[in-house]
Amino acid sequence: MRERFADAFHPFVLPFLVGIFFVLGYCLVGMIRVIAQLPKADRKRFLLTLITPKYIWMNVRDIFLNCLIHVKLWKRNKVLGYMHSSIAFGWFMLIVLGHLEVMLFVPHRIRFFYYPIFFNYFVAETEQTLPGSLLMFLMDFFLLIVLSGITLAIIKRFASRIVGMRRTTRLSLFDRIGLYSLWAIFPLRLLAESFTAHISGGSFLTIPMNWVFRQFLGNDLHELPTWWAYSIALCVFMCVLPFTRYMHIPAEMLLIPMRNAGIRIRHPRKGFASLEVYSCPSCGVCIDACPMSVRKANCKDATVYLNRMLRRGNERRIEEISDKCLLCGKCTAVCQVGVQGPELRVAQRARRKYALSPDFSEINVRPMASAVASGAGGKSGGVLYFAGCMTQLTPSIRRATTSLLDKAGVRWQMMDPDGGLCCGRPLMMAGRTDQARQLIAKNLEIIRASGCDTLLLSCPICYKVFREEYALDDVRVVHHSVFFQELIASGRLQMQREDELRLVWHDPCELGRGCGIYEEPRQALAAVGELVEAGKHHAESICCGGSLGSLTLSYEQRQPMTQNALDNLTLANPGTIVTGCPLCLATFVRAADRPVRDLAEVLDEHC
Amino acid sequence: MDFGFKLSPSSAVNLDTVDLARFDKLTSLVPDALTCIGCGSCSATCTAAPWSGMSVRKVLLGLQRGRDEEVDKMLSACMLCGKCTMVCPRGINTRHLILTLCRLNQKGEVVR
Amino acid sequence: MVNRQPVIAIIGAGIAGLEAARQLVALGYKPVLVEKAPAVGGHVAEWNRLFPDMSPAADLLDPLVAQTSGIKTLLNTEISSINRLKDEYNLVLSDGSSLLCQAVLFSTGFHLFDASKKEEYGYGIYDRVITNRDLEQWFNTRHDDRIGHPKAVGFVHCVGSRDVKAGNTQCSKVCCITAIKQAIELTEEFPDAEVYCFYMDLRLFGKKYEDYYIRAQRDYGIHFIRGRVSEVGEAIDGRVVVKAEDTLSGKPVKVTLDLLVLMAGIVCNPDAQYYAREIGVSVDDDGFLKSRDNLGAITESSRPGVFFAGACTGAKTIPETLAEARSAALAIHRYFSNPR
Repeated sequence: MRERFADAFHPFVLPFLVGIFFVLGYCLVGMIRVIAQLPKADRKRFLLTLITPKYIWMNVRDIFLNCLIHVKLWKRNKVLGYMHSSIAFGWFMLIVLGHLEVMLFVPHRIRFFYYPIFFNYFVAETEQTLPGSLLMFLMDFFLLIVLSGITLAIIKRFASRIVGMRRTTRLSLFDRIGLYSLWAIFPLRLLAESFTAHISGGSFLTIPMNWVFRQFLGNDLHELPTWWAYSIALCVFMCVLPFTRYMHIPAEMLLIPMRNAGIRIRHPRKGFASLEVYSCPSCGVCIDACPMSVRKANCKDATVYLNRMLRRGNERRIEEISDKCLLCGKCTAVCQVGVQGPELRVAQRARRKYALSPDFSEINVRPMASAVASGAGGKSGGVLYFAGCMTQLTPSIRRATTSLLDKAGVRWQMMDPDGGLCCGRPLMMAGRTDQARQLIAKNLEIIRASGCDTLLLSCPICYKVFREEYALDDVRVVHHSVFFQELIASGRLQMQREDELRLVWHDPCELGRGCGIYEEPRQALAAVGELVEAGKHHAESICCGGSLGSLTLSYEQRQPMTQNALDNLTLANPGTIVTGCPLCLATFVRAADRPVRDLAEVLDEHC
Repeated sequence: MDFGFKLSPSSAVNLDTVDLARFDKLTSLVPDALTCIGCGSCSATCTAAPWSGMSVRKVLLGLQRGRDEEVDKMLSACMLCGKCTMVCPRGINTRHLILTLCRLNQKGEVVR
Repeated sequence: MVNRQPVIAIIGAGIAGLEAARQLVALGYKPVLVEKAPAVGGHVAEWNRLFPDMSPAADLLDPLVAQTSGIKTLLNTEISSINRLKDEYNLVLSDGSSLLCQAVLFSTGFHLFDASKKEEYGYGIYDRVITNRDLEQWFNTRHDDRIGHPKAVGFVHCVGSRDVKAGNTQCSKVCCITAIKQAIELTEEFPDAEVYCFYMDLRLFGKKYEDYYIRAQRDYGIHFIRGRVSEVGEAIDGRVVVKAEDTLSGKPVKVTLDLLVLMAGIVCNPDAQYYAREIGVSVDDDGFLKSRDNLGAITESSRPGVFFAGACTGAKTIPETLAEARSAALAIHRYFSNPR
């Protein structure tokens, strides 16, 4: 290879240079801002992980697997996975190989940003060498891969069902400009390289195309326009990038290390929250996944649109979307980037101003505390059972739970036999964390007074908040499904199996996605009858629609969601639907065509 | 001229003079609030009621009868547990109603 | 020329169907009664005494059954499918036979709301919670372990009625007067018992109903509490504890009872909804069958040849049901008399 031009420059590289400096500068400033906006403790922790070998390896591995290969997307849909990894990984390899070419053949030009990108214009192949033809082959190969991905992308935009997506995001104007310029880059590169292939050398793709072109277009004047076009396409793409969904490319590379360092959303608009918002690739997988999108309603309230509204600062829509969400977590579960939809929305709710704030300071819990202290009989240990608010509306759960505790010979007492204080999670879901802490403090008084060693919950909403927000280090907080499964496994509860009983387990949002408990309830149910699975289950289970997370959804709006969840649960034709949450139970009982029971009830009936 | 004597105000509710600013703003944002039949399910099931006498029914009634102080006291006791919404036979979203009310100042404007 | 040979199918042999059949026979027709239960009489056959006179149900039903005993009645027969031909209707019955008829009368009656769907009341969970139907059956048979010698009894009005969460926003009309009737009957049975009625509104619209209410208050000392029960709990000894708000005094109220009776509401018979849809008759948005005109033509549907009588179009009292049955018979007669 030798250089064709002594000054190693041509004006057509200017658009590219403008673009690359703009986008690199923007990203650098953005990165500094995000890190600066983190709370001090988070910032220190994050920067520390950047120099810790364990985290460095984790970050590199995760960036490679998620940003380039898109492993998560492959698991969801192979066609979409191929499409994205071909473009991402292919383009990455083109850049790497371009740099390799420059280092090998014209190492003194390595500092010229544009040399690796426009290599084929600036050098001419003098002889066919092995490294040369190998690199040319690889360049053409990866270019072909990227082009195959681009073809799929074009098809997806016009007929999304072919690639398995029912609904896809509606693009904004800038997104469209970015999309079309991205589509244009690689065909234009192919064209440009093909025109120059007889000078610069090429491989299986560029050489034949070059031969075809030269049959029709004799002279070399057609080279330059194509290189200009290629450079301009790159420039347009990079200049628009910060204002489009493609900002996720640089943003995800910062998001992954921060998430690995354990950073969470604190401020609703700055820091980690803004990083997540920019990391959203606008892919639209959350639209189909959202339980509110049944019957094509509420599609514009999916997380992808929340992110867009946050970028645009559309306060009215941000408020509408944030208040409506069920906080079920399904969007986070399917999100390829891991944007935390519920946490973002709760953060938005927390910044709302109120004229009136709850004040629970006057509540006197000493009678309740004394009642549990005397109920423990001065002995420490034992199980304290907190039934919670919702369980009062589903008395069968309380009955069955206490009956099972008696049958297993467990020493227990109730924290709220005549009703107590709310656990605090509904206040937290509404963004009123400080007020929730007042309730938490009061409840802690009662729990400490009882001297228990285990806190038993039959409601996953309560379970989640007791586990995460109450500082109960010396008390084991356990959900009744896990507790009873342990009792069955250790033989303290003997189950009578009824073979003709066909059961399906509904994973409540708060228990499954919220706390990661999927297997224990299934193991308990398998001891009692035949367990079948719903259509979508485990992390993809469908919200019952009754969630307290939504502040504004009406009863009529929730009914189709409940029906959709039931349709999903009854796909394998179970005789009984079993759940572990009193709110799911009450919601399903109203609408189901077959019995709906709590896990404790089913276990109690067979013990 | 003021001689220092005052007639004690009647304890009757004078619908001619009651200030409905907050109630009207509430019903424009949450129209279902108008369908309350005052059955009392919400009051009976309220988690906060034993501690404070909170009752959504009384809040709605108080707003229409000019008992603003009582209403504010009750609203500050709500734990947002959602039981009232679960039992309301008219399907009113009582949690949304309470949160909306908490955002209104005395003149019925949303605070920003 | 009147065609006195047309076949008229009457779906449901409760009092609406029986009365309509009686009238049609008097007009010279030969109707066929199709009934899924083993006996005629429908819901009224399960009842003990009727409001507001406390007359025995048998006094109304037995003569009606006797007068219609000669009419062709298919008992224990369900309708597997029904479809509409040009101006006839074909009913395929569960015994395999087919009934081709020129007119269909829906007298399918009502279905009682399943009280176990109101989980917070504990029907099916607590022993001491029963429904109005269970209580009426006890008055007839005196067999129910749940009813011992109660000292405190509660009635919960509007269970499954006027309740969007129960899927029925309509008032079931007759439960308030039934609750008062059963409260009086229980007080007659157990004179030392305290009886409480928890209501949202008291709907006592009919002839002499208000007098009944006055009797209940003055002569039987029944307590009326305006407040909808939100939760029912269990006391240590198995009695039930009811929580409501006494809205008239604005205070929460709690009482421990030996027996709680849930006044389950009236919804449309789901079979009737299914048959109606099969032959193109609309179901109204309250779940009941839709008449051509709710004021002037309640016994006629929008389809020629299909008629309604009784609770299939909405909650009805007995006098209304009998009046509709007679009116439907006349409408059927007019239908066959007029040249088409």
